[in-house]
Amino acid sequence: MRAIVVLGRVLDPAGIVVNRRAGRIFVNREEYILPPADRCALEAAMRIKDATGCEVIALPRALFPDDDVLRQALAIGADRAIYLSGRGPDCADDAFMASVLAAAIRQLGGADLVLTGATTLDTGWTQLGPRLAEILDWPQILDAWQVEVQDSMTVVQAVVPADGGYALAEADLPALVTIAAGALKLRYPNGVRLINVYRGIGAVAEALERWEWQTLLEERPTPVLERRGQEFPPERERGVRVSGSAAEMARAVAGALRQRLGR
Amino acid sequence: MDFALSEEQEMFRSMFRDFSTKEIAPYVEELDHAEKPPLDALRKAARQGFLGATVPEEYGGAGLDPLSYALLIETLAGDCMSTAITLATHVSLVAMPILAHGTDAQKEDWLPRLCSGEAIGAFALTEPDAGSDTSRLHTRAIVEGDEVLLEGVKTWVANGEIAGLFLVFARGEAGHEAFLVPRDAPGLTVGYREPTLGLRCVTFNTLYLEGCRIPLSNRLGGPGDGGRIAQEAQDLMAIALAAAGLGVAESALQVAAKYATERVQFGVPIAQKQAIQNYVAGAMIETEALRYLVYHAAWLVEQGKDISFDASIVKAFGARVARSVTNRMLQVMGGYGYMEDYPLARKYRDARALHIIGGPTEWHDFRIARHIFAGLDLAIAP
Amino acid sequence: MDFTFSPEHRALRRMIREFVENEIAPLAAELDRTHRVPFETMRKLGEVGLLGVCFPQEYGGMGAGEIGYCILMEELNRVCTSTGTNVGAHIGIGAMAIYLDGNEEQKRKYLTPLARGEKIAAFGLTESGAGSDAAAIRTRAVREGDSWILDGGKVFITNGGYADIVTVMAVTDPALGARGGVTAFIVETQWPGFKVAREEDKMGIRGTSTAEIVFEELRVPHENVLGKVGEGFITFMKALDMGRLTLGAACIGGAEMALESAVRWAKTRKQFGVALAHKQAVQWMIANMATEIEALRSLVYRVAWMVDTGQPFTQLAAMCKLYGSEVASRAIDMALQIHGGLGFTRDFPIERGFRDARIGEIYEGTSEVQRIVIASNIFREHGVRIRP
Repeated sequence: MRAIVVLGRVLDPAGIVVNRRAGRIFVNREEYILPPADRCALEAAMRIKDATGCEVIALPRALFPDDDVLRQALAIGADRAIYLSGRGPDCADDAFMASVLAAAIRQLGGADLVLTGATTLDTGWTQLGPRLAEILDWPQILDAWQVEVQDSMTVVQAVVPADGGYALAEADLPALVTIAAGALKLRYPNGVRLINVYRGIGAVAEALERWEWQTLLEERPTPVLERRGQEFPPERERGVRVSGSAAEMARAVAGALRQRLGR
Repeated sequence: MDFALSEEQEMFRSMFRDFSTKEIAPYVEELDHAEKPPLDALRKAARQGFLGATVPEEYGGAGLDPLSYALLIETLAGDCMSTAITLATHVSLVAMPILAHGTDAQKEDWLPRLCSGEAIGAFALTEPDAGSDTSRLHTRAIVEGDEVLLEGVKTWVANGEIAGLFLVFARGEAGHEAFLVPRDAPGLTVGYREPTLGLRCVTFNTLYLEGCRIPLSNRLGGPGDGGRIAQEAQDLMAIALAAAGLGVAESALQVAAKYATERVQFGVPIAQKQAIQNYVAGAMIETEALRYLVYHAAWLVEQGKDISFDASIVKAFGARVARSVTNRMLQVMGGYGYMEDYPLARKYRDARALHIIGGPTEWHDFRIARHIFAGLDLAIAP
Repeated sequence: MDFTFSPEHRALRRMIREFVENEIAPLAAELDRTHRVPFETMRKLGEVGLLGVCFPQEYGGMGAGEIGYCILMEELNRVCTSTGTNVGAHIGIGAMAIYLDGNEEQKRKYLTPLARGEKIAAFGLTESGAGSDAAAIRTRAVREGDSWILDGGKVFITNGGYADIVTVMAVTDPALGARGGVTAFIVETQWPGFKVAREEDKMGIRGTSTAEIVFEELRVPHENVLGKVGEGFITFMKALDMGRLTLGAACIGGAEMALESAVRWAKTRKQFGVALAHKQAVQWMIANMATEIEALRSLVYRVAWMVDTGQPFTQLAAMCKLYGSEVASRAIDMALQIHGGLGFTRDFPIERGFRDARIGEIYEGTSEVQRIVIASNIFREHGVRIRP
């Protein structure tokens, strides 16, 4: 069995300061981390590997300038990692990347399971998983908190939030599952693998491959988004404190909402 | 000028020493470890009249002169700084303001009880949002007929846990006012005790005043006098704190110097090493400088002079000396200095308090600078 | 010149930071309060390979070099000085002595489980009458056939209360003194004759074991002689050199913690209508702390680089420890002052940091001893041999 895990990178929020007045984000420390949801997806993949002995291959969620996330994945325990190099379009959105990743998976000779984070930390994009499943024509389970592959290796089960509780979803393999941030307790990288993969020595370093993304596709996919500029979301307004009994507070909240919506 | 202690003062000092060696020194370690207030020592101090050290004999006090009182605090702090601070809080921050500003009735009511140890005094000025900046207290005093309603929260109330009487400062109509609040007053609750780095036998508590109602006759001084009363009390306390710093520095020097004569390294007692000689010499110079600053400040009090400037000088210097001397003496003792079984670790932790309690050193530096620039016709703001 | 960390060291720091925030920071206050050694943390550190951070991979280590080890010490001490001290005594001097002078067999047998965290090491040098004065050592080792019989004891031994392996320095030829007359031994604490006599009650680093250990007719096989007979002093001094450098790194962590909390508090706390950050007295403290920390960081990592590239560093290691401990003490003192009363209560980590930092100027050679080391190195270059 083979599981693919798709990983991104974001600037470490602890190293940046958002200054609205200056209209800028100041980067005090340019340090990238795996986004929490992707990190959980990797953890889910590793747990499936622990249980079934499957192969885990890491792929990047975008065309990154370096292969740092993939080295991190190898240090944590992925068996292979493919860095996708080459220049992409100005706005390499989820639609574009889904096509590239689908091609990469085909090139790998297919897979049984794809795992990735349900959402990214910086852009908040959530479409990569669903779009990739569409292109591969696989079933998909979104926003899962737990994932398990049945012993038969034909079915994946996942716990997903539903109606304020949780539901158990099931899909035949091959399938795609996106994982929620904070879903799982994470493991740490293995020290020796970490040092070796960054130093480029030993088997773990050889497990990192480099593919030109253009060679994977005949036709260049088109992004659906176009970058027109960027600005901060509107500033959050001051809240209104309500008090009284539960019924009174509910009425006050409803009244405030009606007023806000102009109804 | 005469720098000698009087015969009487010499006699007092040896009496204080006897008392401290017998009643305090043997129990210090145990008390500090258990973080218990020194109740037993206070009871015995009361019998000697120390709880009313500078209170006149007519109210049951010992009627000591300010310098003798400084010697008392210095001596006690040499063995246990916690006990010295507990006692100084009681005398300088509570009994003395009552003596200076109380009505005859207030003095007759409270001073004998404070002197006998029936009631221990606590000082409640600091608030969560008012550390050094006590220009605007949040605790309110509302006069209702012949009663006063106190509402607010006080923090770092020294002696809070063991007190029978609280000197509470609050904002009234005419400004800050001071009130004598007995522990059993309705609406008064002694709360959380701060676990502290040093001075572990002094109880610093949060004090809640919720609908606390006391007779208006419990107001100390007139309307709006609170600020002045608090400042005078703190100035007196500043001298006592510096005296405590002197005591802790002196005793640290004694302990470490003795150790240096006994500890052999590289074939000789470490006292033979220049680095150690440098440490003890430096400590001695600073300690002696502090001694005369403290005695001088006490003499100013005796003379009835304004001490607001000198109190800050002696407190800021005392904190620095206590800190640097205990730090270096701990270093002389090496690994043994760091062990809680030896007295230096405790002295070092205790001494660090002096930079913070009674106003941080930065605040006293400001007051000193303000005095200097005022002489040059420039007002500076904190 | 290149002053940047390599990608593997950046990745290592990221991993360690995550580990210490999740596994160590939440325990720090409790360890101090209850005087407890965090065995579980040592086990977890071993599992991810961090207890072998600087040892070669062939002996179960990670192979991240001295720079990697300094990163570990810095990050550990940022959140918990006690854990940092346990790890420092284990890797930095205990296991380090075996790594530096152990033979192949000893490294296989002892260094490998130590690097993996399966066993814990301690370093047995100090005696009640012999701190930095190694010549005054009283513990005796007498040859008896294939073995040596050890009699004596050591005090202030970090990890002493629970270590599996202790490197011990003992006198083998009283006539020769420190040069030629003392030998280092690898002692397993399960052997008969090894006893833990008492645990010290310390002002700080209360989450560590500082024990007095006793040897009574303790039989050590000759193959456990570390280095050559009579050259124990050299082995131990080499280990201490490494230890001193990494204590400098530990001090960066402690000082950084102090600076971070001081800045946070100065931003929030208002007095006289403005945040403390606007007060010059506070600004000076912050500026001094930051400057000293940067100077220390440059010194420590430069010396770590010298170790990794095989250059002599004895004098500089002493500087790391001397300057580091003083920077850390000053930084935490200023942070405490900025926090005011809050810094004085045990409810805030500053108070713990203040007590913990003070040991830096004492253990593994006091500041005075470091100055002797530095001065004697300098004078030696000028042809003067000074006696301590």
